[in-house]
Amino acid sequence: MAEWWSGVQQKFIAAFITGDRWQLYLKGLGTTLEIAVFAAILGVVLGTLLALMKLSKKQDGRKTAATVVADIYIDIIRGTPSVLQLLIMWFIIMKNCTNGVLVASLSFGINSGAYVAEIIRAGILAVDPGQAEAGRSMGLSGKQTMQYIVLPQAFKNALPPIVNEFITLIKETAIVGYVSLADLTRVANQVSSRTYEAFMPLIGAAVIYFIVIKILTILLGKLERRMRRSDNR
Amino acid sequence: MITVKELKKDFGENHVLRGIDYEIEKGEKIVIVGPSGSGKSTFLRCLNLLEQPTSGKIWLDGEEITDPKTDINKIRQKMGMVFQHFNLFANLSIMDNITLAPVRLGLMTKEEAKEKALSLLKRVNLVDKADAWPAQLSGGQKQRIAIVRSLAMNPEVMLFDEPTSALDPEMVGEVLEVMKELAEDGMTMAVVTHEMAFAKEVATKCLFIDEGIIMEENTPDAFFGSPQSPRLQDFLSKVL
Repeated sequence: MAEWWSGVQQKFIAAFITGDRWQLYLKGLGTTLEIAVFAAILGVVLGTLLALMKLSKKQDGRKTAATVVADIYIDIIRGTPSVLQLLIMWFIIMKNCTNGVLVASLSFGINSGAYVAEIIRAGILAVDPGQAEAGRSMGLSGKQTMQYIVLPQAFKNALPPIVNEFITLIKETAIVGYVSLADLTRVANQVSSRTYEAFMPLIGAAVIYFIVIKILTILLGKLERRMRRSDNR
Repeated sequence: MITVKELKKDFGENHVLRGIDYEIEKGEKIVIVGPSGSGKSTFLRCLNLLEQPTSGKIWLDGEEITDPKTDINKIRQKMGMVFQHFNLFANLSIMDNITLAPVRLGLMTKEEAKEKALSLLKRVNLVDKADAWPAQLSGGQKQRIAIVRSLAMNPEVMLFDEPTSALDPEMVGEVLEVMKELAEDGMTMAVVTHEMAFAKEVATKCLFIDEGIIMEENTPDAFFGSPQSPRLQDFLSKVL
């Protein structure tokens, strides 16, 4: 028993303490979060824009050019693997860019935007049309009505699936190892190949992901409750 | 004040309005009745172009609002509308519901709009609800707020689309009371309703719309006392 325990300790020390390896994990986590946060912001901005493009309508009900563009964008992004999108961004579109985090953020943001677009579109469609009618009947423009009345309610509707999307995004960034960015997953993998011991680094990384996502879930849950205060009866 | 000529509205194959001509003078209170599906709500919603007419023309104060070159948002600022389902902005407090449009459209400063809102809320006895959310109010309170929200824009005319149809019976009175006061103050009003007592008491003219046309139009006394068309006689015998 004592022998087993000292073995665990040694493995732990090898995985996290020796050569200040814990700093590698921390840096890796930093990279993961940096990419995820930028991508999430870009995803929501792009997604909102795409949702509005998809919902734009001509008076005779035909598709606008904006709708067609948004449709094609969403089809392409959802129809190809995100790893491949990352590789294409890395080796073809932005091959001269030296800022790897930027390239990855853009790639994930562009990917996330397609999914967020559908979430927000559903959120907008779930808002009672009477809300927009009331806004327009007072002389507010379509844009003002969208901005002050419809979108705030749409975001509230869309928050739970958007949280879902953020969580997926954080974990999906683990594929940046493909383009040799040192994110949390890649760091754990590197350490395990250095120490010939996989258990501690991999489980350690998993625990870190778990904790980060748990904290995010709690924070966004608070935000959701705050946004639901107008539903209080 | 409002002139309507040859107004037609189709929804696909469904000819909802089949040619309406009418003129509303300043200060008039027009009450529009008719069976469900007759086109009376569509007629009202065409007046501020919430429905785009299929053909026909509408003028407000001599300005043709059906002209594509007309800035419809400017026109709508002069026409308040009250809906069957209130449509208070669910994401905004009562105060923000009332001040949003006047402030964002640059008609008033925030302070002016708040002051105006409070004086209007006082009129309908709902000052204490200024910081409440729409979901916290009863139907009657919501509709009174909706009326206040429209009045905050200082409209020249108010359109009411079945304002009491979604209310519990005991709340109908409080909303009609506000509308009566508004009428006494001289507001020009067009009201689609099933409240015949209100029509008799407040209307300057009653319209009977059926099958997409104005089938009969008269002063309330004659409208209810000696209806001409068999359709109206039949309708009144069912609702009175």
